[in-house]
Amino acid sequence: MKKRINVQFHYGLMVAPGLVWLLLFSIIPMVGIVMAFQDYNPGRGYWGSEWVGLENFEYLFSMSDARQVMINTLIIAVSKMVLNLIIPLAFALLLNEVRLVRYKKLIQTIVYLPHFLSWVILASIVLSIFGYRGVVNTIGGWFGAEGRIWMNSASFFRPLVIWSDVWKEFGYNAVIFLAALTGINPNLYEAAAIDGAGRWKSIWHITLPGLISTVVLLGVLGLGSVLNAGFDQIFNLYNPMVYSTGDILDTWVYRMGLWDLQFSLATTAGLLKSVVSFVLIVSSYIMAYKFADYRVF
Amino acid sequence: MKKNLILPLIAALLVSSFAGCGGGGASSTASSSTPAATSTPASSTAEASSPAEGEASGDDLAFRKFDEPVDVHIGMKVSPIDTTLPAGDSAEDNQYTRYLRDNYNINVIVDWTAAEGNDYNQKVSLAIASDSLPDGLVADDRTYMVSAAKSDMLYDITDLFQKYASSQVKGIMDSTGGRAYDHAGYNGRMVSLPHVSVTSDGVHNLNVRKDWLEQYGLEVPKTVDDVETIARTFMKEKPAGENTIGITGPSKSGLLYSNFLNSSDITHSYDPIFQAYDVYPGYWLDNGDGTVSYGSIDDNMKPALERLASWYAEGLIDPEMGTRDNSTEPVNAGYAGMWCGPWWSLGYGNGDAFVNDPTANWQAYPIFTDDGKWNVHMKTIGKTFCMISKKTSEDTAAAIIIMYNALVRDEATFDTSVAIGWYPLRVVAAAADEVDYTANELVKVLNGETEPEDYNDPLSIYKLLYQDVSKVRNVVPGYEPGRELNVSDFSMDNLGDFKRMYAQLIGSRPYASTTVDKAVYSVTYSLTETMEKRWSNLKKMEDEVMLKIITGQSDISAFDEFKTNWLSQGGQEILDEVKALL
Repeated sequence: MKKRINVQFHYGLMVAPGLVWLLLFSIIPMVGIVMAFQDYNPGRGYWGSEWVGLENFEYLFSMSDARQVMINTLIIAVSKMVLNLIIPLAFALLLNEVRLVRYKKLIQTIVYLPHFLSWVILASIVLSIFGYRGVVNTIGGWFGAEGRIWMNSASFFRPLVIWSDVWKEFGYNAVIFLAALTGINPNLYEAAAIDGAGRWKSIWHITLPGLISTVVLLGVLGLGSVLNAGFDQIFNLYNPMVYSTGDILDTWVYRMGLWDLQFSLATTAGLLKSVVSFVLIVSSYIMAYKFADYRVF
Repeated sequence: MKKNLILPLIAALLVSSFAGCGGGGASSTASSSTPAATSTPASSTAEASSPAEGEASGDDLAFRKFDEPVDVHIGMKVSPIDTTLPAGDSAEDNQYTRYLRDNYNINVIVDWTAAEGNDYNQKVSLAIASDSLPDGLVADDRTYMVSAAKSDMLYDITDLFQKYASSQVKGIMDSTGGRAYDHAGYNGRMVSLPHVSVTSDGVHNLNVRKDWLEQYGLEVPKTVDDVETIARTFMKEKPAGENTIGITGPSKSGLLYSNFLNSSDITHSYDPIFQAYDVYPGYWLDNGDGTVSYGSIDDNMKPALERLASWYAEGLIDPEMGTRDNSTEPVNAGYAGMWCGPWWSLGYGNGDAFVNDPTANWQAYPIFTDDGKWNVHMKTIGKTFCMISKKTSEDTAAAIIIMYNALVRDEATFDTSVAIGWYPLRVVAAAADEVDYTANELVKVLNGETEPEDYNDPLSIYKLLYQDVSKVRNVVPGYEPGRELNVSDFSMDNLGDFKRMYAQLIGSRPYASTTVDKAVYSVTYSLTETMEKRWSNLKKMEDEVMLKIITGQSDISAFDEFKTNWLSQGGQEILDEVKALL
């Protein structure tokens, strides 16, 4: 037993900061959930505030807003999830076919750089690219297109949010696939080549099947974050004219809680989100085991 | 193999996310109490405490120096772009805190700082939510103050205020007809020190580039039609090239019109246009027959909205309206021909415009209805409040009131090359008519009807008047009686003085010199009970539909739909509630 602790000590050390973080920022604040069932009054605290049962939930569902916000969240998050699987996969496959190692490394480095930039910075870049006198309108102007105000167009906002997120993250996500690619036995390719398979055939019959478990795994694990549509991105990009397509749960909770001081209502929405996410995470765990034979724990 | 990799990877990620959080620590510098030169204030203290009027004993308390140092813990909003603080000074140790320490033995301790705007408001709302208010904290919105009061976190200063407030401060409170006390109170008790701002903060004018008008032989605008003609000419002639903007619009976080919660100091809104249509969106209107209506759902809004929409479609309004980070930028860059704002928006508000182009002759005008009436909606008392925590000792609460008194009396004597925003717990109190009164007196001094020395009264409720009249002749050397002032009549040698005089002489001219035909008040300027729950939903609906109609993304029929939804989703209930307030 003691030996086992010694062997695992360094792992424990590595996990410790994460555990402390979890305890401080995720477990302890759970007490605040009670606000969802109260008419929370900060002066009286958790124990003195009036209990209202499920009133906050009822009100939440009666609001025309809530449905719209939920739909936006789902559309944006699911699109991001799917595209963030497909695009990096395609990219990883393409990059894998590149024979020049230096070129390959260079591309890989460049595409994953945006991942490290904060949305606060990227948003202002995006805003100026799509501004009235931005690059897009200027180039459009050369071909006679009328200048458009992109950022106040509700129909344009969702694609913008989704694709700019994909652009930011695809390089980083591709790393996982590239790692999985190196795990495929090279003998398989040799054997296929001897049997007369071309590039397409070997991608189709060797590479893809080799990656399928990683794809399923990432997809399934991503389920848990299906209600996370990206707060910092949208918060920095949106304006009242795109609320109808761009307002998501997190931005709504933010405005509700911190601008309008509706602590209880904001908590209710947050709790609802957590419950849905929890259910999804549990099912994703089961599905990951079933389809990809992968156990998270 | 994969599994072995993942744990350390996660740990590494967590650690790196930790590192990211470490930045925002409080910068508490040890206050090295250097006996710095706080020049004039000391002398004026002596002057003030000598019994000048019958109230002297009261004012002794109002400017009392504590025997023992009194600590005041505060949360402070700071401007992230401020460059005026001398090296070595901090939020906790600067000329203002030293002034407070030397003259009153008040020791200001800054518990935390946050950048003004959203960051600061977030901190305030978290301080309320977690019941951890420092001794003194400025709330930028009445909602915060009421929320804290309702949670019973605020010191009841009803009696303390009577005891410690200076006669000057009381005079200012009274200049509002006593409304300031209600405004700063909750359930009949006074629980905060109110910002009392000048009435003209809520009067929105149309600012116009008069040099452009002259260039194209146009008359000064009087009606909405004139505004349209001018904007059309500007857009046709394009005096600033391709970047020319006829009329600016609100920024991303700006407002199309002021409303009962934000009833003053709105820039780049269309208040003057709506008022010229005799509609008052965002206001709860007393119909005079015991009923109340909400201005935004008035059917007369439609022609006004259609007009704005046609302007937008024609390109007279900034096409980027509603998406800009800052709408004053194009004004400062010299691209804009017209924009709306209160008196201070000229001068104070667009100082850089004059620095960039000293010939930019910005003038402010009222816009009248077609039959020549000037309708103006009126603001509430003020926007901000100084909240005093209930857990505070009586001495500390008194100290905070003294800080409020001192700011009113001595603001004029401070060396404002260090931004006045560094004054801890700065909540301004000004006589309601200060700006328009000052504007008229300044003109008298310029005309030679009065002399600056006539205004030398350190306890006047017009606290900056004496200083202003002493400077005005130097700042406006080109003045000629009977002629409208132009930017070329001003001297820009001292930019701070220039901005102030420009705002007062030109920005406040409409309100100081034009008769208001119809002054419109909102029945309430704060949230009712149902509003607390439903307002953000209704407000969001309103913001969205109005912007969409004006930018042509929805046609005017969306207005009727909005009206129906608004009423059915809680609006009717709120109207009944507001009616009960009559």
